[in-house]
Amino acid sequence: MTTESQDRETRIETLLDRIISASSWVWLALIAVITTAVVLRFVFGIGSIELEEMQWHLYAAGFLVGIVACSRRNRHVRVDVLREKMSPRTRDWIDLYGIILLQLPFLTLVLVSATPFALDSFSVAERSASAGGLPYRWLLKGMLPISFGLLFLTTISQLIQIARRLFRNPPGAFRP
Amino acid sequence: MSVREWLAVAMFVVFILGILSGFPVAWVLGGVAVLFTAIAIIVQQDFGHYTGVDWHFASIVTDRIWDLMDNWVLVALPMFVCMGLFLDRAGIASDLMRDISRLFGKMRGGLAVSVALIGVVLAASTGIIGASVVLLALLGLPPMLEARYAPTFAAGTVCAVGTLGILIPPSIMLVLMADRLAISVGDLFLGAVIPGLLLASLYIAFLVLYPAFRPEIAPAPEHAEELDLALFGSVLRNIVPAAGLILAVLGSIFFGVATPTEASGIGALGALLLAISRRRLNRNVLREVLRETTLTTGYLFGIFVGASAFALVLRGLGGDELISRGLLGLPFGPNGVLLSILLVTFLLGFFLDWIEITFIVLPLVAPVVIGLDFDIVWFTVLFAVCLQTSFLTPPVGFALFYVKGVAPPEIDVRTLYLGILPFVGLQLLGLAIIFIWPELVTWLPARAYSQ
Repeated sequence: MTTESQDRETRIETLLDRIISASSWVWLALIAVITTAVVLRFVFGIGSIELEEMQWHLYAAGFLVGIVACSRRNRHVRVDVLREKMSPRTRDWIDLYGIILLQLPFLTLVLVSATPFALDSFSVAERSASAGGLPYRWLLKGMLPISFGLLFLTTISQLIQIARRLFRNPPGAFRP
Repeated sequence: MSVREWLAVAMFVVFILGILSGFPVAWVLGGVAVLFTAIAIIVQQDFGHYTGVDWHFASIVTDRIWDLMDNWVLVALPMFVCMGLFLDRAGIASDLMRDISRLFGKMRGGLAVSVALIGVVLAASTGIIGASVVLLALLGLPPMLEARYAPTFAAGTVCAVGTLGILIPPSIMLVLMADRLAISVGDLFLGAVIPGLLLASLYIAFLVLYPAFRPEIAPAPEHAEELDLALFGSVLRNIVPAAGLILAVLGSIFFGVATPTEASGIGALGALLLAISRRRLNRNVLREVLRETTLTTGYLFGIFVGASAFALVLRGLGGDELISRGLLGLPFGPNGVLLSILLVTFLLGFFLDWIEITFIVLPLVAPVVIGLDFDIVWFTVLFAVCLQTSFLTPPVGFALFYVKGVAPPEIDVRTLYLGILPFVGLQLLGLAIIFIWPELVTWLPARAYSQ
């Protein structure tokens, strides 16, 4: 592996980390939107469909990025009971097979079905079905293939790191 | 059983083996769904057995994920997570631990009772098992061990009390259950209040009585401080704002003033303000809380997404008909069917976590229960109490993992397993009480409606 390609990996990872930490502010925005909606409703008696839709738009974007963030930081829940007794190498083998046989096929399934789902929405310039709802529904639907694309990227980057650990320095191998 | 139903059973078995490998649960769920879609296609095309599942069917997973996105009820989930994290960073729990343990300083087992009381406060504030169990272990274990409590007793207390969080509202598990069953979050919250407090009382009674019979479990304190008024003042100062916030959130839901989503957002704002007023909030803490909210929400929804795919394919293979036929074919009558469901849920809890059970099993059994004319809120609370044990039962008990992760080395796995045993018994006792007296669940929601 050349340093150039390693640089490229690092750049992608830095970009991902920036997206993740920037997107965490979405929760503060969500608190603000809910508070505004509540104040409007209770104090002024105004119900706003726009603000109501804004809430689940922010939440949906937030949890999708959250799934990517967990993957990036290796925070997805694992059942540790047997894993803690395994050697690092066994863990790497399990992760290697898990990524190839389970994770990547699943991400591919979602990507393949979510891309036309978002594109269809884009091609009819879909907006909220309710009067006074938000425009650009396709933008939120587009978040689905985009976040799963990012998830695919992080997974590939993990796969490369695991493969590098497993295959570059096999234990006991002759190293010049 | 038909070939496709055998596939459904095999899918479940492969899933359980898969998570025991230690690969992330979310991807095992999703991956097994894809794997069995492929197997179903081969079985149908090459062996001529009808399976009903193909790629076109599996791609419905996108619509299922969209259902999670286009969902106003579940917005409450990250907001309750965020509220809990702010309350955590406000440092209320550690101040309370200091004060309450002084309050119960003279009592045998007083430290354990203090941990239990703080657990109830945490249960109402976070509803995230991981967060409250870790916090309780960090705050409660060292003083209990220092006071020469039996390690099994100390560790069991921390694990069990931490799991109250999923039962005592506001609880993210109850939000998810209400969403999956399309019942009112408010009703479920109301229904769970008395059972939650009942369980907490059972724990506390045990923590008081057990050391009285076996003094070596919790030696009497050697040098207890005298109580003074300043101590009571300090306890009140710490507990009143947090308790007030939680009661306001719950009250506004119960009286129908606000939706759970609105209440969760306002609750998060209140917790933020509380942290500011206690001078515990700065830019870094804020950033950390928001990042933790992203990560916690991320792992929850990772499993939701995987479980949606799994449940979809399992249903496609006829898993739901298999379950309902199996349950209705039992020769026990309605109560027997219900008890069988709870027994199976309890047993599944040894291997699965509440999220998978709520996503996959609950929607399969709920129609059967409704068909038998049981009160759905009552059943869901029973189910919730039953799931609470899933955190404690080895090998896959998440409360045990979390405590193990932060506990001092003298707490080994065996100590934990022995420690939780009496508490699992207490939970089953609580389950029996709620089963015998359904009014414990149904009374409060009925009161709310009569007004």
